[in-house]
Amino acid sequence: MGIAPEAQVETIAPHEARDAGTARTIEKDSLIGKRIAKLDAPDKASGKTRYIHDMNLPGQLHGKILHSTRVHALIKRIDTSKAKALPGVHAVITAEDVPYQRPLGVSKDHMPLKGDRVRSMRDEIAAVAADTPEIAEAALKLIEVEYEDLPPLYNVAEAMKPGAPVLHDQKPDNVAMTFDYSHGDVVQGEAESDVVFEDTFKLHYVTHCCMGVSGVIADFDSAGGLMLYSQTQVPFLHKREFAEILGIDPGRIRIVQPPIGGGFGSKLDIYPFEPIAIFLAKATRRPVKLIFSREQEFRISPTRQPVLLTLRSGAKKDGTLTFRTATTLHDNGAYTSWGATTPFVIMQTISSLYRVPHCKYHTTAVYTNNPYAGSFRGYGNLQATFAVEQHMDKIAEAIGMDPLAFRLKNAQDPGETTGQGMHFKSCGFKDCLRTVAERGDYLRKHAENIANQAKPERYKRGVGMASMLHVGGGAKIYPSDGCGTIVKIDDFAHVTVMTGASEIGQGSETVIAQLVCEELGVPMEAVTVVNNDTDVKPWDVGVHASRTTFIAGNSALGAARKARDKILAVAAKATGYDASALDLRQGTIVMAGTGEAIVPLAKLLRSLHFSEKADLVMTTHYYEPPSEHQDKGFKGDVSAAYAWASQVIEVVVDTDTGIVKMEKVWGAHDVGRVLNRLGIEGQIEGGVVMGQGYALTEELIVEDGVVKNPAFRDYKLVTAPEIPEMDVTFIESMDGEGPRGAKGVGEAPAICIAAATANAIYNATGVRIQTLPYTPENVYRALKGVNR
Amino acid sequence: MTVEHYYAPKHLDEALEVLRAGNATILAGGTDVMPQSESGKTPLRKTLVNIRRIAELTGIRLAKNEVRIGALTTISEMMANDLIRKHFPILAESGDHFASEQIRNAGTLGGNVCNASPAGDTLVPMLALDAVVELAAKPNGSVETHTTPLGSFLVGPGKTRRAQGELLVAIRIPVPPAGQVQRFFKFGTRPALDISAIAIGLAAVKTKGVLSHVRLAYGAVAPAIMRGSKTEAVLEGKRLTPELIEQAAQAAHDEVKPISDVRASDWYRRELMHNIVKRMLIDVHEH
Ligand SMILES: Cc1cc2nc3c(=O)[nH]c(=O)nc-3n(C[C@H](O)[C@H](O)[C@H](O)COP(=O)(O)OP(=O)(O)OC[C@H]3O[C@@H](n4cnc5c(N)ncnc54)[C@H](O)[C@@H]3O)c2cc1C
Repeated sequence: MGIAPEAQVETIAPHEARDAGTARTIEKDSLIGKRIAKLDAPDKASGKTRYIHDMNLPGQLHGKILHSTRVHALIKRIDTSKAKALPGVHAVITAEDVPYQRPLGVSKDHMPLKGDRVRSMRDEIAAVAADTPEIAEAALKLIEVEYEDLPPLYNVAEAMKPGAPVLHDQKPDNVAMTFDYSHGDVVQGEAESDVVFEDTFKLHYVTHCCMGVSGVIADFDSAGGLMLYSQTQVPFLHKREFAEILGIDPGRIRIVQPPIGGGFGSKLDIYPFEPIAIFLAKATRRPVKLIFSREQEFRISPTRQPVLLTLRSGAKKDGTLTFRTATTLHDNGAYTSWGATTPFVIMQTISSLYRVPHCKYHTTAVYTNNPYAGSFRGYGNLQATFAVEQHMDKIAEAIGMDPLAFRLKNAQDPGETTGQGMHFKSCGFKDCLRTVAERGDYLRKHAENIANQAKPERYKRGVGMASMLHVGGGAKIYPSDGCGTIVKIDDFAHVTVMTGASEIGQGSETVIAQLVCEELGVPMEAVTVVNNDTDVKPWDVGVHASRTTFIAGNSALGAARKARDKILAVAAKATGYDASALDLRQGTIVMAGTGEAIVPLAKLLRSLHFSEKADLVMTTHYYEPPSEHQDKGFKGDVSAAYAWASQVIEVVVDTDTGIVKMEKVWGAHDVGRVLNRLGIEGQIEGGVVMGQGYALTEELIVEDGVVKNPAFRDYKLVTAPEIPEMDVTFIESMDGEGPRGAKGVGEAPAICIAAATANAIYNATGVRIQTLPYTPENVYRALKGVNR
Repeated sequence: MTVEHYYAPKHLDEALEVLRAGNATILAGGTDVMPQSESGKTPLRKTLVNIRRIAELTGIRLAKNEVRIGALTTISEMMANDLIRKHFPILAESGDHFASEQIRNAGTLGGNVCNASPAGDTLVPMLALDAVVELAAKPNGSVETHTTPLGSFLVGPGKTRRAQGELLVAIRIPVPPAGQVQRFFKFGTRPALDISAIAIGLAAVKTKGVLSHVRLAYGAVAPAIMRGSKTEAVLEGKRLTPELIEQAAQAAHDEVKPISDVRASDWYRRELMHNIVKRMLIDVHEH
């Protein structure tokens, strides 16, 4: 029967606990700043987590894609008849079979299946769905393709020459995108300068190396609804984009995000394999699973944007920066993905990391037949910081100022609004600088190492410093930068938080749970976070721009506060106390002043549920940060808060071999406030190692459009013994808008490492190397002055 | 090609019988066989012969004036063995820089030799230590064995003088003469899980500052592991002086024939040869 038996209806007598004479008191205890294990850690550590790779749907087929074997060619003929005839093959498709397909990507210049022409070795020209991956693989080998080679473009300079082959008809000059920004008057700035430097910095290809390779499962229901198991970082934006590519109603697409084995920005864009899996599912009316091999992951997934950055900077003798001009050339690859738009971030560092009265910025992104770059943790900021921070050292040396004093003189303060319109409400930059300099004993070592440069020792020691500015309160690059949250609490005081935010290993679900627990006075075990189903969770722009703790955290706080208010109102009514006299602690309603326990939360909730005016505690909140869209000139306060960090790195350079050993990294991070100390330490340590790989070991070697090292044997990630000792200090600037004062930190720790390493190598050897990575051979060549 | 027959014989005799029929892939630790077949570089043949159960291929023993190391000895076993640590410290040391713990537990010395990579790590010390390989076959119904110096057994990348039907049963290394000094250096760009960009092994008898019986072996600087005979000639019978050391380092630089690949350029490999041979000899000189 639907009616609760009498015995289950619980009523609360006013002053119940006290009257019972069993009063117990519960002290106020905060979770903020504590070390809290990630909610997903036990399953991940014990191998229980089911990634998309582990998922199999009943009746599922396996998809495989045939990629081009040419960098630039016309497709004269594709014959799939033999592949189709192979037993176990259910569909073989080419562009002809999907006349409804529409281009994807930032500039809509990229067809999922290429019909008449290929422009890179990653181009998709046919796909197979078969009973097993092996059969699908065998079928690919039976597809015959006839090409007619076209002249290739392997570098930006060639591609920009008049008369160069045109890669996309709508861009006859091969220029995929340009960006221009300025404030002040650089001519005037230069006239006021006592020293001026111009240098060109060359940044290389690296790739994300997610431990979980890319994959997707597509499944249509009989009514035409599409279920997509996807690793996307932006499920709601991708619903719309998939709908456009496929020509279907976005409302009929449901995206479920199984746990993902690494994002780092690589899943911010749709890449052809995803629509292709959907085409195959549509053609076969079966679920289709498509997973990359590791080699494909290297060959086909996006890279970090390679950049040629020319920086011109000036300063007065007294150490005041006068102007900065940056011109960058981006190899856009064959199609446009997010890499091309990294100038959004690059220009922020150029214009606003330090006070620069006059600034001018220009980027040209140029089509070539090379791989294309996507978004990658830091989004252009590693590249920008590499140039800016080397110039800071160079100028300091030229005017005879110590590098710390020179930075402090030009560093931003709280309250400042930059030429680009960024308003720094909280800013711990100078604290970061002073802290790392002191903890790393930077000035003493810096001077001592210079004195040692001329000595004949094989091993040279160096210290280098670099700092960074990054968005820390979201980034309003879409019409909305918001996130929604639904909180519900069941009859047993178990809290379910449905957040728009996506978890990509960064620890967001733990921090969101923590913020909700703090508000509702329940233990961490009492919370479940649901964050992986677009049919359940409210809208969110996606996981990027270090925004989740800030934006989704504020959203969760808002929903939790509403729930708290409701609970306390119910408690007040039930107990006769004023709501303001009550508090929630350890799953119990207590007297705020004394901590005296009044009634268990679960009991209170049941009394609400099974009362005459039956109700549940369910709340929603949508948070939109108070930030602005940039105008056409890229001006505006794009983030609700900004994060700062300074790092000092100590290296030892072996002059016999060029090996650079990173011994220790000191970091000071203005994170607003530490929420989960364990989480933020992990985030920073991981980021430092990612930055270390970028600086020292990693390079996706691309020769004539071909990736030469598509394996971990030759693409060198940092291994455990190479990881430096780390000393991290958190600067808590208590951001007024941040959730309990916190700011974003996801990208920050990776950003300074290459720049600080460059300065450390210079301090050790007197040789400045403006090209990454600092592999032993590259460093050795630089020391000997022998180019490749 | 898919494997049609799989054998896991317990005795050498049986294994040789199967091999005599030809078209077989020999599987020891599989740490080369598996990745190479997976990538399509060396597909598995029709017959797969797992030799891991053959007791005759295991064990490390001192016999007469040499140490006989069974082909199935894993890198880990080799590193932990007292005879090896005592007589051939550089062979044990080459294991330190070899792959990872997991691979060292599976990969065998026989596999490292027969895979004949120009960068095979144990081959460099073994060549410097005058190793010979012992091969067995069963051409006419009975088991026959013969030995060949390691240097002539290795001919090029992945190529050896092993005849079809032959199995490598052991590696034999003479006990070093009194006063022998040994040095090994592997240069990879990182401390673990790295393929050598160059590797150098040195063995020589040092008496009163003079080197004799000089053996130098170089890895990853030629199609096969090579002896540094020109460098040896510079050093043989001479007193180590800074000038001689520089001359030897230059000879090493000049006599190697490296290629440029994704790991290092030929120029850099030569530079490393010079700098590291020099450091090694300074070290020998000073200790
Ligand atoms: C991740 C990784 C890292 C590695 N790092 C290194 C490294 O740092 N240094 C290095 O030198 N190598 C390295 N290797 C290569 C490999 O581990 C070694 O070559 C190992 O010694 C091979 O031994 P195995 O027993 O696994 O050989 P297998 O793979 O079983 O065999 C190798 C070859 O030898 C043949 N063979 C094996 N035993 C015999 C025999 N008794 N008689 C005749 N033929 C035989 C096989 O048919 C095959 O052709 C690495 C491999 C991997 C996968």
